[in-house]
Amino acid sequence: MTWLVWRQHRQQALAAVVALLAVALLLVPTGRQMRAAFDDLGLRSCLPGADHSELVAPDGGCASLSEQFSGRFLGLGTASLLLLFLPVLAGLFWGAPLVAREVEHGTQRLVWTQGVTRLRWATVKLALVGGGVVLVAATYALLVGWWIAPLNDATGYRFTWLFFDQQGPVLVGYALFAFGLGVLVGTLTGKVLPAMAITLGGFLATRVAVALLLRPRFLPYQRRTYPTIGGSPAEPNQLAGDWVISRAVYSAQGVKLTPGSGSQALCDQTSAAQCVAKYGAGAYNQELFQPADRFWLFQGIETALFVALTVVLLVLAVHMVRRRIA
Amino acid sequence: MSAPATPAVLEATRLGKRYRRTWALRDCTLALPRGRIAALVGPNGAGKTTLLHLAVGLLAPTAGTIRVLGRAPGGDPDLLARVGFVAQDAPLYGDFTGAELLRLGAGLNRRFDQALARDRLGRLGIPLDRRVDRLSGGQRAQVALAMALAKRPELLLLDEPVASLDPLARREFLQVLMGSVAEQGLTVLLSSHLLADLERVCDYLVVLQAARVQVLGPVDDLLDRHKLLVGPRRNPAGIAGVAAVVRATHTARQSTLLVRTDGPVRDPALTVGGVTLEDLVLAYLADPSAGTRPGPAAAPAPNRLEVQA
Repeated sequence: MTWLVWRQHRQQALAAVVALLAVALLLVPTGRQMRAAFDDLGLRSCLPGADHSELVAPDGGCASLSEQFSGRFLGLGTASLLLLFLPVLAGLFWGAPLVAREVEHGTQRLVWTQGVTRLRWATVKLALVGGGVVLVAATYALLVGWWIAPLNDATGYRFTWLFFDQQGPVLVGYALFAFGLGVLVGTLTGKVLPAMAITLGGFLATRVAVALLLRPRFLPYQRRTYPTIGGSPAEPNQLAGDWVISRAVYSAQGVKLTPGSGSQALCDQTSAAQCVAKYGAGAYNQELFQPADRFWLFQGIETALFVALTVVLLVLAVHMVRRRIA
Repeated sequence: MSAPATPAVLEATRLGKRYRRTWALRDCTLALPRGRIAALVGPNGAGKTTLLHLAVGLLAPTAGTIRVLGRAPGGDPDLLARVGFVAQDAPLYGDFTGAELLRLGAGLNRRFDQALARDRLGRLGIPLDRRVDRLSGGQRAQVALAMALAKRPELLLLDEPVASLDPLARREFLQVLMGSVAEQGLTVLLSSHLLADLERVCDYLVVLQAARVQVLGPVDDLLDRHKLLVGPRRNPAGIAGVAAVVRATHTARQSTLLVRTDGPVRDPALTVGGVTLEDLVLAYLADPSAGTRPGPAAAPAPNRLEVQA
């Protein structure tokens, strides 16, 4: 059985290794470049000693160095968003064909009538191929984790959308989920191409829904207020790495004054009159955020969520293989 | 409650399988005695593949029961090991070589005679180091048969094994099958709509028509019991010794009757002749309401045919 799984999936394994090498070829040189710049700009020596307090003076601490670094490399970070799509490939090319190709070619009638039960066939196959998915995704996560570390440190964006999504154990969760979804959809449709299309759609929809709707609410927000008219220090420390979900200006009576979720007012002593004119005396900024030290907890929660979804999908798929299709 | 010892290798009782609203097989009661080479014939869509898939556990019945070698198929690895199966069109992994397929068989079966299969394929001149999708249809069918036989099964189920083969490959396939049956002493159930081929090979007949069993019994008995009567044009009813008229054709002067007898026909006006298996099957298939089969639930004795009125 092990040999059969290897024989049937060795090409996919080879493709995965080649893909990992290609990604490494892209990430290792740019990663080294970022590290060099990180050192040259003095961020490595600046950041550990940087002010970790909640509020800092504008342009204080390492902020200007950080801005220089971001100016150079944030584009790279944005380009790396393409890497967000890598985990879904596990679903498209490993998951969807796993049962569907057998049904499409009729070979399930060969392999399910040998001396092993369908339950055993399905569990061994899913365990081995799923193990391969974990291995590849974990290797990839380590690689990206190394690459993105300077961007994390220099920008404080690690916890924000898209940065959170392309590093850490969640990558393993996403890849497993894509795999499980591919297997189940392939089992239901019995056709490889439709299964791939549905898997792609289902994966993206689930990921977006979890990222936008669930993740901000994994734990209750924290709230922070700070004045509109700056003394010193005046604004939230972005490098602290908190995930700011919304901010707005409130009147002294607590009425929200700015629309949307991304406005703050910061006046210095010379422009204070403008702030007072616009928002009234005693107005303040308020920010809802998830504190930086919850990053790994959130990674853990989201990984567990996707792994649990995977288990449900695979159990359903095994049930279908045992009972329904032939 | 102890189950009675039964000589039947495959036993179905009121077996039915429904796909959504249509019944692919219905009310199927049959018992296949050990040691037979049984032909399963019927038009396309009669339920032949469904019956075979039920027997090998690929499908689960909607109604009734099926027992193979005394066990219920499906999820039973011991039973899977004792039943060989070649599905329609002999599905194989096209990118595997013959040798790899045999390795697959050896890996997935506790009992798998790889040497036997290699030897058999070697004698047929089928290269084991070539991808099977580069082999001819006949060679692929032989590989599939060799894999099924290497399990040394007690029951071999073949679904249209020769349908896609040219006459030469067909003959070769059936020869190999006959040889192996003689060597290994197994029971075979073989579906086909190529009646002429089956006549040489099979000694037991199951005719499925419109999801039901229409004819069932040993070929010898069936041929003995059925006669072709030719004589002056007449009403086919009331001939002594005739139990039923399966098919009657008339010209202006002459009647030709294919009948099932229950005694000697001694009408001097009639010429009594034998029938071929093909005549017999075609006559029954032309008239879905005619039928002959052993009494319900009775396991047919190998050499006796009970005719249901």
